[in-house]
Amino acid sequence: MKTEIRTAAQGAVPTAPSADAAEINELLRRYGVKFGIYKNGQFKEQLFPFDPIPRIIEAEDFKAIEKGLIQRVDALNRFLFDIYHEKNIIHDGIVPEDFVYISSGYLPQCEGLTPPENIYSHISGIDLVQGKDGVWYILEDNLRIPSGASYPLIARELTRATSPATFSGGAIIDNRNYSKLLKETMDFVNRGGINAILTPGRYNAAYFEHSYLAELTGATLVQNDELFVEDNMLWHKTYSGGKTRIGALYRRISDEYLDPLTFEPSSLIGIPNLMEAYRSGNVAIINTPGNGVADDKGIYYFVPKMIEYYLGEKPILHNAPTYLPFYKDDLEYVLGNFEKLVIKDVAEAGGYGVVFGRDLSEEKLEEFRNTLIKEPRRFIAQEVIDFLDLPIIEDGGQVMRKADLRAFVLSGEKTKVWASGLTRFSRNPDSFVVNSSQGGDFKDTWVLSR
Amino acid sequence: MKQLNFSFSTKLTFDNYVHEHSFALRTMPIESSVQHIIGCELNISPFISVCNTTDAFGNTVTSGYIRDNHRFLDFEIKGKAEVNPESPKTDFMPCYAFQSKYTAPDKDLTEFYKGLSAECRGTSAFDRTEYFSDRLSDTIEYSKGVTDTKTTAADAFALKKGVCQDFSHIMLSLLRADGIPCRYIAGLACCDGETHSWIEFWDGGKWVGFDPANNCPVNEDYLVLSQGRDFGDCAIDRGVMFGEYTKQLQLITSHLASAY
Repeated sequence: MKTEIRTAAQGAVPTAPSADAAEINELLRRYGVKFGIYKNGQFKEQLFPFDPIPRIIEAEDFKAIEKGLIQRVDALNRFLFDIYHEKNIIHDGIVPEDFVYISSGYLPQCEGLTPPENIYSHISGIDLVQGKDGVWYILEDNLRIPSGASYPLIARELTRATSPATFSGGAIIDNRNYSKLLKETMDFVNRGGINAILTPGRYNAAYFEHSYLAELTGATLVQNDELFVEDNMLWHKTYSGGKTRIGALYRRISDEYLDPLTFEPSSLIGIPNLMEAYRSGNVAIINTPGNGVADDKGIYYFVPKMIEYYLGEKPILHNAPTYLPFYKDDLEYVLGNFEKLVIKDVAEAGGYGVVFGRDLSEEKLEEFRNTLIKEPRRFIAQEVIDFLDLPIIEDGGQVMRKADLRAFVLSGEKTKVWASGLTRFSRNPDSFVVNSSQGGDFKDTWVLSR
Repeated sequence: MKQLNFSFSTKLTFDNYVHEHSFALRTMPIESSVQHIIGCELNISPFISVCNTTDAFGNTVTSGYIRDNHRFLDFEIKGKAEVNPESPKTDFMPCYAFQSKYTAPDKDLTEFYKGLSAECRGTSAFDRTEYFSDRLSDTIEYSKGVTDTKTTAADAFALKKGVCQDFSHIMLSLLRADGIPCRYIAGLACCDGETHSWIEFWDGGKWVGFDPANNCPVNEDYLVLSQGRDFGDCAIDRGVMFGEYTKQLQLITSHLASAY
């Protein structure tokens, strides 16, 4: 836990001067770097506050993480192909079928469909934490439409502007290549036509990100009313009444709203018959519909097994120790050790449905026990990892807070890990939940080049 | 084996002009070991180009897009098929074993199932289907205009009324609760002026058709148009369009008769 402070103090890697924090946050506000949250039916837009002390990952450390993440995402992509085709991993008894077919991310409408180049998860956001012993653990895989890459991107941009000398020596790997990686990923699966980023609009939580990534990659930022499917091809309406073909659609809306003629009929943000165009091989959808079955919290438990099953390799990165109440032994352990565990509802995301056993009152605990016995498939339980604290600036001084790391893995011709990432932390000293939707703040992540 | 002539048409009329109209039809009968399609013609008006794809459930999806203003959409299929229930279908999807959007039971339907399950002496999939269907016809009254395309099995069971679609959904819910995989069928049946719905249950490696609305097994007088987990996968026509008034009137006529 001393690494960051020591490195900074020795002057090997200067941190951005804290005096700039206010200035950078002001710039972020002016750029509209915001995060929207719906709570109790109300839309509230809030700034995503930036902390100027970066998380620093040493070159050696990053190499190991990188290898582990590539291995993990490759296995997840293999799993997805298998689930929507032969289902060998189920027939061979590695993953129980219940976990697949009851998962809300599993879409029978996608059975037998093969995405361009067999890629199901093009952009994966893998959440990790580092334990106090220095070991990295995977907390969860986010394969549907993980957001967050734009925040460290623009924060770095602004930090560079306020403190250019910090980045001049080449000690910190430049993270501006994210747009190049993303463009490569889109180009690789493009079926002919332009790249487009589909946003549900400016009231979406991550609208800033949609527009920023479109700007950086040269993709066209589109909403559904500018698009239509004709002759099983996806088209963008031009101002002159013509149409431009779209070959790759990086959609930032959920599967269920994607096509009202295949999925949720009441969706007003989807594109009718998009799935027919996709089925005909005329457009790539990024990320591939139906891939949520692999980032289901219940499936997470099986990822290390997948790595061995598909790749014949030992997992490089470890899961946080996890129990599945679905298995009888695990259920008994969970019921007996509630206070040591964090329980997660597999159907929820964004930090919702997360309960720490030690925070529950006797009454609530009893209630939860009964729910768990009745619906064991709905939950996973994890040991609370005592993860590393990182220094943050508070009231002009430094304090230590829990932080995680969302690493971005892009799958195109090759699987690549972006040498940066979104570090999130909670200002609340007692909180282990760092999700942006739960009011977390963020840091830039510096990966050292040597 | 029996030869059937079939025809089916839908006339959609809108109160005012609509535009940017996308639609997906599941009207082309499925080619399978039970039914061989000798010929089938699809006519759509206004005249536009359409595309055919096959969805995950094996249905032919005819999709199209009408950009300009129009006040109607008519489509019609006409053809001849050879039906042979002696050579059953064997295509399977795991999702048919699990409850789906329309079939998920509520408390009352679960209680109803528990009662039926305890009473039913039969153990084979066919015996159980027959028994459940018998009891269903005692419990649910066939009645038009009470339910619509959004009605779930639980809704219809609460009303104790419904049409063929509702009978199918309740039946699917009961069979899935009982561990018998089954699927929803939309199609045409002899002596029925509209589209009909029934179910197929998985009987040790093959599909067997059963018509819960008429409480009888399916014979060679049935023609399958589409299949899936429930109505949501099988809708004969679905569309999205823009216009000031999109209120529409739909007229359906169908005809199925022996070709001899």
